[in-house]
Amino acid sequence: MGNRSLFGAVSVLLAFGAGTRDAWAQARVVSGKVTSAQTNQPINGATVSVVGTPIVAVTDDKGGYSLGAPEGAITVLVRSVGFKRRQVAVAGDQGSADVALDQDIFNLEAVVVTGQATAVERRNLANAVATIAPEQLTRAPTSTIESALQGKIPGALVQMNSGAPGGGGQISLRGVSTINGSVDPLIVVDGLVISNDAIGSNLNAVTAASGGGNASNQDNPVNRIADLNPADIANVEVLKGASAAAIYGSQAANGVIIITTKRGSPGRPRFTLTQRLGQFRVANKLGQRRFTDSADAVSAFGHASIVGPICRGGCPFYDFEQEIYGEQNLSFETDGSVSGGTDQTSYFISGLVKRDGGIARNTGFEKQSLRANIDQLLGTRFHLSVSTQLIHDRSDRGISNNDNTSTSTYLVLPFTPSFFNLEPVNGAYPFNPFPGNGSNPIQTFALLKNAEDVWRVLGTTRLRYDALTTNSHHLEFALSGGLDYFEQQNDILSPPSLNFEPADGQPGTVVLGKASEQRLNLLGSTIYTFTPTSGSYSATTSAGFQYQNNGLNTTNAVGRTILDGQQNINQASTIVINQNQTPVKSVGLYAQEEILALDQRLLFTLGVRADRSSVNGDTRKYYLFPKGSASYRFVTPFSGLDELKVRGAIGQTGNPPIFGQKFTPEGTGTIGGLFGTLAGGNAGSVGIKPERQTEIEGGFDATLGHEFATLSFTYYDKTITDLLLVARVAPSTGRANEIINGGKLRNLGQEVAFSVSPVRRQDFTTILRFTFSRNRSKVIELPVPAFNTGGFGTSLGAFRIETGKSATQIVGTEGVVGNSEPDFLASGSGDLTWKRWSLGFLFDWKKGGDIINLTQLLYDAGSNSPDQIPAGNQRITDWAVNGKTKTYVQDGSYLKLREVSLTYDLPASVTSHLFGGTHYARVNVSGRNLIRITPYKGLDPEVSNFGNQAIARDIDVAPFPPSRSFFFSIDLGF
Amino acid sequence: MRPILKAVSAIGLGGALMIGACNFEITNPNAPTEIGNNASPQRISGAMNGLLIATRGDVPNWILKAAILGREGYRIDPADPRFVSELITATNLDPSNGAFGGGQWLGEYNAIRSGYNVLNVVGTAQLTSEQREGVIGFTQTLQAYNFMLILFAHTEDSIPIDVNRPLSAPLAPFVTNDQAWQHVVSLLDSGATHLQGAGSAFSFSLPAGFASFNTPATFVQLNRALEARADLYRASQFSCATCYDDALTALSGSFVDTTQSLDLGAYFDFSANSGDVTNGLSQQVTSSINLVHPSLRDSLAVNGGSDARYSAKVAARGSQLCDPLAATRCSDLSWIRYPTPSSPIPLIRNEELILIRAEANNNKTARDAAAAAADINFIRVNSGGYAANAGLSGATQQAVQDEIMIQRKYSLLYEGLRWVDMRRTGRLNQLTIDVPATDHIFSTLPVNSFEVQARP
Repeated sequence: MGNRSLFGAVSVLLAFGAGTRDAWAQARVVSGKVTSAQTNQPINGATVSVVGTPIVAVTDDKGGYSLGAPEGAITVLVRSVGFKRRQVAVAGDQGSADVALDQDIFNLEAVVVTGQATAVERRNLANAVATIAPEQLTRAPTSTIESALQGKIPGALVQMNSGAPGGGGQISLRGVSTINGSVDPLIVVDGLVISNDAIGSNLNAVTAASGGGNASNQDNPVNRIADLNPADIANVEVLKGASAAAIYGSQAANGVIIITTKRGSPGRPRFTLTQRLGQFRVANKLGQRRFTDSADAVSAFGHASIVGPICRGGCPFYDFEQEIYGEQNLSFETDGSVSGGTDQTSYFISGLVKRDGGIARNTGFEKQSLRANIDQLLGTRFHLSVSTQLIHDRSDRGISNNDNTSTSTYLVLPFTPSFFNLEPVNGAYPFNPFPGNGSNPIQTFALLKNAEDVWRVLGTTRLRYDALTTNSHHLEFALSGGLDYFEQQNDILSPPSLNFEPADGQPGTVVLGKASEQRLNLLGSTIYTFTPTSGSYSATTSAGFQYQNNGLNTTNAVGRTILDGQQNINQASTIVINQNQTPVKSVGLYAQEEILALDQRLLFTLGVRADRSSVNGDTRKYYLFPKGSASYRFVTPFSGLDELKVRGAIGQTGNPPIFGQKFTPEGTGTIGGLFGTLAGGNAGSVGIKPERQTEIEGGFDATLGHEFATLSFTYYDKTITDLLLVARVAPSTGRANEIINGGKLRNLGQEVAFSVSPVRRQDFTTILRFTFSRNRSKVIELPVPAFNTGGFGTSLGAFRIETGKSATQIVGTEGVVGNSEPDFLASGSGDLTWKRWSLGFLFDWKKGGDIINLTQLLYDAGSNSPDQIPAGNQRITDWAVNGKTKTYVQDGSYLKLREVSLTYDLPASVTSHLFGGTHYARVNVSGRNLIRITPYKGLDPEVSNFGNQAIARDIDVAPFPPSRSFFFSIDLGF
Repeated sequence: MRPILKAVSAIGLGGALMIGACNFEITNPNAPTEIGNNASPQRISGAMNGLLIATRGDVPNWILKAAILGREGYRIDPADPRFVSELITATNLDPSNGAFGGGQWLGEYNAIRSGYNVLNVVGTAQLTSEQREGVIGFTQTLQAYNFMLILFAHTEDSIPIDVNRPLSAPLAPFVTNDQAWQHVVSLLDSGATHLQGAGSAFSFSLPAGFASFNTPATFVQLNRALEARADLYRASQFSCATCYDDALTALSGSFVDTTQSLDLGAYFDFSANSGDVTNGLSQQVTSSINLVHPSLRDSLAVNGGSDARYSAKVAARGSQLCDPLAATRCSDLSWIRYPTPSSPIPLIRNEELILIRAEANNNKTARDAAAAAADINFIRVNSGGYAANAGLSGATQQAVQDEIMIQRKYSLLYEGLRWVDMRRTGRLNQLTIDVPATDHIFSTLPVNSFEVQARP
């Protein structure tokens, strides 16, 4: 059986709508219909193949197929995604064979990517690869794909950085993988490595959050995975650690997320249309201190001449947060697709228009996307696939996060008493005397513009050549080229009419940021599969190369002193411009051998990748990243246990140096109009090399009780050496620091996933899934003295990297005060179907993990917390006088209902009358982040003032408040 | 099989050729590399301006910090309480944060390093030998100024001075404070010698703040002015009696001149132009958070209640701003010493030189009371705007020193000198303590913690 099933497996992946009619004598025609055993619906796009030959056909939208078969009795193998395979004997004189397929509830028969171009069935897979099916991605509407991944990947911590519309989140797979290197996982869409960079807007020019004049990570940037359209996605696979991702080499230290988009299949055009309407509402507010009379107020805020009259006869109370974040704008989403094709050509075209209304004035997110995926057979051996997407999105995120200019909302409200009316009177916004510069957040949101507009093109073209297909040999070559290009424009206008603008002596600030990034990929691969005629094993050898040419060019111009009503930067009196370019070239070569033997029970893989890059000190050197893995399936070892697979894997990946770390750049500046160069503070390293991560992973997957339940357990041990470290050097050398490779960091973790389908009847099915994971990080070796990273200094809580301690420990004045590492992560989700109703839900639980709550510190210091007397006063005294940093390092556990969705499938009697006959019509209500249960006293326990960080996440300084959303939608299929 | 083999080898060869031929050497497009041999005059010119930029970098922070430590003022920032909690109420100054206790270290050593980067390659630069002397003299003068800033902030500790070493070499050893000051003086003397051989013009331009000192002949006067400041400090801090005479000798070669403007001097320029920085000390008066200590207004009473210098540098804020954590720490006075973002900050001015001369004459071994009194009265009348004190020439040395301290207080307001003055004359205990329970007066910054950690 071995070789024939492998043929089938390879064919499913490779033969999109291919029909081969050449090499084999086709004496007769066999045709039939493929349907679902549960629902009797025809299955479109199922692969029907004749076992022992390369003859393959694909069913059309009525489930029908027709193929030319040789003389004599044959066996026909029918497979389809989401269904279990079936083999049917067809006698020599039989001309038709109808096949009914059972649903594959636990996706055991899915095919998972294991190499750059190779794939293996999930039941043989030697790694813990998480797969997310498209229905799970679109259970509830989402702004960006990060929200759709929360709670679905065991071992991953996916968190948004704030509640601002339009994205900005971090995906951390299996703990802490680096200290100073890149933190993003590699994201591959249809084989193309795409950019997930977050380019700051330079809101810093208004907030002065990080001194300097440049865009900072406190600008609350959006990372560009936000551009993708979740409705386009057919499959997401997550390679969580080095043992799986090694074949992606030196960029895969943080894991790899492989996204495959939907493709067409033969048949007449099929349309889908989804229309959603909904709303975002603010999910949490902090509250303010209530004052009864002016005595307390004056002692807290001074300004007696202003406070007195307002509080005469009792102080009024204004809920500022409701006034600022209480907008209820309409949000909508329209997405549609059409797919179809012939035997030679198939296409999938989709479009999306959406708008998320913001919870504050002049904020929101909109996206438009158009995708076209085309597959074309050229002759009989060449196959061309084209995947293109054009995206435009725009986010308006207002102002939030840290500042040094009293402009960000939650840096003004702590010092503004709740009885002062900030609402406009006759169109004039009151000057707020309490922060000193008049800053009125209601006015700020009304007049400040902070827009980010992105146009992006993703395109991949792949040409595959089937060189040789015989009973024992299969050889193919593939060449593909891809381009990811985007242009991001940031427009910030802080007009001089804003109360706070004149404070710096330069009223009016305008920022124009333009960034363009290009990523060009060129990949080539060869796959050779050999199956001896005995069929006892099959060996797949693959090799190839991957060339990347990346370039990011950002320019940012800040103009100050500008007339009201003017926006063009050339209208400003003073203009300061910065430009930064990061060109990177790299190439990787790989080779891999996969052997499937012993009746498809044993899978054994060995592979190696060699990477060379321009960011390394030695640009000619190839760094090797090997991997090896093995798995063995026990089939029904005893009753009750259908299958038990034990697996083990080991692999290495790297994390490349950040561009520029090998250089020692001079500082530059101007004085009196004269240009100057000075000694740079950062010494680079000419011998810099990538970090190296070695992961050992082992575990088992079990299917129990006739596919009643599945249980997986994985244990991993990740060690990272040659960490990129910034070694502080003695400042008397004139340098502040130098970059070195060194140190050792280790993560140990466990992941458990359990799925059960307790009820499976005709009219009622349930599937419940639970995941649990734990990660513990530890710094094993450090060639530099222990250092603090992130935060605002020890007294306000900083992260400390120290030998023998957790990598994410938080220290304060008094010593260690916490750790942002969660105790564990768990999730529970379910999909229940009863007659025409379906209910889906997902809970996400993070236990433990501390957050540095500086927003509360600001309220306490301003004597303005809702619980100021006595709790707030006690807190601030503990911090300021008793030196207890722990006061503001608080437990960030949460249990969130991420997604809940209720759908009603309209009966055929109704759908046949709609719009001239629809195939299906569904009515749905769904919500995201509807319930939050948390002991954390800040706005939301998912927060990061500094954006995506390896270590220093979980710092809460004046973030954009979180929101919950609910939508009503109609899905139609034609 | 053969056509396939051909296809395989063609693709393989093509691929290998393409990859092997790739050149992955990419130079840094974002910043220049360190100045090397055979430097062009433009490159040297850039390095000279860079040295000024590096020196200027830490000056605003120094002035603000010295003002707080010397009780010239406060910074009451609701968003950053550390300017009070780390510089006033802390039990000890924290050496780990450059903005506070760990400051006046990295910035200055970086400027000194920038200087050495030039000195190490100036021998091969494309300059005439006179131009070379000009570069060396200018660089050494500014390096000495940077050492002076470090030493003004660090008094009891020793500091490393032999810092012209590559990163891989062992670190420069610490020398005592006194030795470090001697190094400052010898650097200035060496600079002066080179400047005297530098001909009539520099090979580089200087910004407007140095308009009075942009030739070797005039820049030497600036060098001597800095020497006078250093000698005065050594005289009082280390009880070096001969240093007063050295100060007077240096002054005679400087630009001290009662017929010239008191503001004649060298300045660091600021602007909002591209690549430049603005003066961070400038602020809108009504919303200011860098406040003036009320004691400055209170002590006006000593000399008749008004002082033109005070009126020019301090303004009423309009409303009082208090420290949220200490209700008695309040001020309703704001600095207008640097009113706009492009206001320059002085390096050293004629007014200071006159006062140095007065103090040196008052305290030198062969005391010259008349000369001291003349200079003091000149300042009283022309800078303070009030009457001269006729009895000054007959007063005791101590009384004259007290008078000099008052005159220095107002003449050199918000120039980073008050704390230094009070410390070197042993008067730190006279500084106001607003909240006795929590406030401390510090006499020195600690050595930056990264320097200590680098030397296990």
